[in-house]
Amino acid sequence: MASNELTRRDMLTVAAVGTGALVGGSFSSEVASAAEPAKTGSGMMDISLRVNGAEHRLSLDPRTTLLDTLREHLHLTGTKKGCDHGQCGACTVHIDGRRVNSCLTLAAMAEGAEITTIEGLGDPDHLHPMQRAFLEHDGYQCGYCTSGQIMSATAMLKEQWGESDAEIKEAMSGNICRCGAYKNILAAIRQARKA
Amino acid sequence: MPSDAATAPHAAVGRATVRVDGPLKVSGAARYTSDFHFPGMLYAVPVGATIASGTIAAIDTRAAEAMPGVRKVYTRHNIGKFYRVPTSSKALINERRPPLDDDAVHYYGQYIALVVADTFEHATAAARKVKASYSAVTNPNVSTSLAPAMGDASGKLPANEPRQPDSERGDPDAAFASASVQVDHTYNTPFETHSSIELHASVATFDGVRFTLYETTQAVMNSRQLIAQMLGVPTEDVRIVTEFLGTGFGGKGSVWPHSLLAAAAARDLRQPVKLVLTREETFECVGHRPHTQQRIRLGATSDGKLVSLRHDFIYSRARLTEYRENCGESSSFMYSTPNLRITSAFAGRDTGVATTMRGPGAVPGMYALESAMDELAVALKMDPVELRLKNEPAIDESKNIPFSSRHLKECLTTGAEKFGWSRRKPEIGSMRDGDVILGWGVAACTWMAARIPAQASVMFNADGSVRVASATQDIGTGTYTVLAQMVSQLTGVTVDRVKVVIGDTTLPPGPFSGGSMATASLVPAVAQAAREAIGRLLAAAAEGDSHFDKASVAQLDFHQGRVHRKGQQPNEGRSFEDVLAAARLGHVEGHGKSAGTRDEEHPAYSTHSFGAHFVEVAWQPEIARLRVNRAVTVIDAGRIINPLMGRNQIEGAVTMGIGMALFEETNYDARNGMPVNSNLADYIMATHADTPPMDVIFLDYPDTHLNEMGARGIGEIGLAGIAAAITNAVYHATGVRVRDLPVHIEDLLIAA
Ligand code: FES
Ligand code: FES
Repeated sequence: MASNELTRRDMLTVAAVGTGALVGGSFSSEVASAAEPAKTGSGMMDISLRVNGAEHRLSLDPRTTLLDTLREHLHLTGTKKGCDHGQCGACTVHIDGRRVNSCLTLAAMAEGAEITTIEGLGDPDHLHPMQRAFLEHDGYQCGYCTSGQIMSATAMLKEQWGESDAEIKEAMSGNICRCGAYKNILAAIRQARKA
Repeated sequence: MPSDAATAPHAAVGRATVRVDGPLKVSGAARYTSDFHFPGMLYAVPVGATIASGTIAAIDTRAAEAMPGVRKVYTRHNIGKFYRVPTSSKALINERRPPLDDDAVHYYGQYIALVVADTFEHATAAARKVKASYSAVTNPNVSTSLAPAMGDASGKLPANEPRQPDSERGDPDAAFASASVQVDHTYNTPFETHSSIELHASVATFDGVRFTLYETTQAVMNSRQLIAQMLGVPTEDVRIVTEFLGTGFGGKGSVWPHSLLAAAAARDLRQPVKLVLTREETFECVGHRPHTQQRIRLGATSDGKLVSLRHDFIYSRARLTEYRENCGESSSFMYSTPNLRITSAFAGRDTGVATTMRGPGAVPGMYALESAMDELAVALKMDPVELRLKNEPAIDESKNIPFSSRHLKECLTTGAEKFGWSRRKPEIGSMRDGDVILGWGVAACTWMAARIPAQASVMFNADGSVRVASATQDIGTGTYTVLAQMVSQLTGVTVDRVKVVIGDTTLPPGPFSGGSMATASLVPAVAQAAREAIGRLLAAAAEGDSHFDKASVAQLDFHQGRVHRKGQQPNEGRSFEDVLAAARLGHVEGHGKSAGTRDEEHPAYSTHSFGAHFVEVAWQPEIARLRVNRAVTVIDAGRIINPLMGRNQIEGAVTMGIGMALFEETNYDARNGMPVNSNLADYIMATHADTPPMDVIFLDYPDTHLNEMGARGIGEIGLAGIAAAITNAVYHATGVRVRDLPVHIEDLLIAA
């Protein structure tokens, strides 16, 4: 999703430049005062998002990430924020079936796409086979990275990876588990693949 | 009575039970702090200082205030009053200075202002508009050379603390001087950051009198006490809720300034306020493991008997804290030696405050000690397992009391057998797998075991459930499940019918989750509560249930969730819900309260867990590639309540240990004191691909001196010693002894 990443970075740069120097920081005040587009920053944007099969009409700040939209506006808080920089994988969702870091995706970019979050995969009474496998193999401890791991794993199984443990581990290395439940995550993915 | 349930076929303790909170966690339904949302909620974004040492000359908030959606910008002039925590308080707090207290800046990122706006985007944008200028800015001292003179002949530390030894016996100097084999080296461990994937957060609500604060804390009771104190309100007016925690590793044990900021903003604006730290801020404002420098001197006879052990260490200490990294914590009792001295000192540094991080003290300390033991084995030309077996103490020689249960020897021998250690060839680089050089390393580990005061209630409900409640919290270690298993064990009611209610200060005061003490502490309180509840149930049956035909309480018994006459089978009796229905009771409740063991002045036993790590590394010199290939860990941590979760904990600690050995270090910029790698791409932790096959074995000897279930606690021990096992293996593969963690590939290039 290189294009997503670039776009968000562009937006952030505009925001950062527009809002002037970081506190006593190193942003050049020349650049900062040259831009000043932030005065128009109150402008909201109407968008509609399709999440877990349901259509949502939203009026959003154009800077809102898909992650913050899901969490703060749609209250789908199963998707987690661990870094906001595309470095941990906790925010992984599916966009049109592909795994994506929702913190690196602006909500506006996901319009028209089919978004699936952990809540759309299964609920406590109707678990998806991958969720069940994580449960049975204790593929977590604190559970904070878990939504991202499960979303990543279900999408990964449809990607062009081989069957070996080494390939699963490589393919899952964008999802950090600080609790270190990797061994059980691997066992869960192996089981779910057979299901 | 119920305690014989342990031997019953339905015994819940010791069983590999799937987590009771698992369905919520795998479906995204478990509520973590930042998941809470309230109508009218506002978003707070702090502004941090961009210097590490100096004074705020002025803060200009006008531009920020004019930004869209901004409700208020706070500085020390308008945030309202915060109070200090008395030094007599035993509460856990590492940064006693309240936020926005004065104009002094003590570390990079220290909060100087707070922006509250209607959306996260508005607050973030406006926070960047706050402009601060500084005066009296001085160059921060973030040097990682804590004591250049540490190796001087006197052996005295250039200390800022009295030279009172932490532990001393015999004459270690004379014994060292005359020892036939001597090892004398200094080891460094870097600043490390907890980096829990859950960011620290606060969601604060205020109803005009009372605060309800949703916190990322490992200690709800401690948070309540401290936050009430610092807000200047009665303790009863603060409620802390932590339903789920995205773990903490010690980094969420203390109360941190952002919680006060959120609470103060909610107090002032009378609207709920959410404040979630950025990943960068978690490197600046919520603690880290301090840098340590440790000199170890070992003297031994030529056949490998230790005659002297000295451990002199210095740790970095930030200006705003008294936090002490007790690296010598385990050195006094780990091995048998008649002569020993441990001393400590600190070196002041201009960083955010340090705090406990998984295995505080012992983890850096055991890296140094277990590295030195390996160096001694090399000097003696002795097998490192053998050296440790040879120096096994009969008692805790630092306190002259017996160990409650110590099976380190069996950890070493079992691990050696599992690992295939007897096939090890001691010469450097002598073991190969094709073109790959293999290195095998071993290290022992230990962590203290103790109980802290705890209370709990157990309630039999008319709907057939059993409720257990305590104001403790599950930080990912499995407390929900462990409590359900304990209650199941004590009552014979199956785990799926036990409702666990924790993470809320309105419940009976429970233990904090730290020091691997929560489980052990809860056992006696829960057991007492269960017995009291069972007693009330039997009384209700005797009085109110005609089924028992006016039997006396003494004639009744309780098993498998059923009241029955003594001498009869449970299925001839009545289920507890039928008893409650007959007596027209909604529930019966028992309360349990237990004291701690941690502050006992004259303990009868020395209680610690022990273990051994065996590691294989693979070294490919032609491409300078180092990997951990496999690990075997044997742990003696008393009775393991849930082996499925228990193994996971130890595997997770070994995984973290791979990071500690090979990747993790927080680097501070010497110009401004900023942690430069304050993100999860540059602060490198072990990923899935870094994790080797692991084999974890529990010896499972119940330590009934600690509690009736014999459970000790396993949160930290797995991280102790593992870094040394890895660097010892690296030495075996490459001949390079890494004494400064983490291992950098550059360190090994001389061997490539
Ligand atoms: S929050 Fe998106 S990758 Fe970390
Ligand atoms: S389960 Fe805690 S971070 Fe993965």
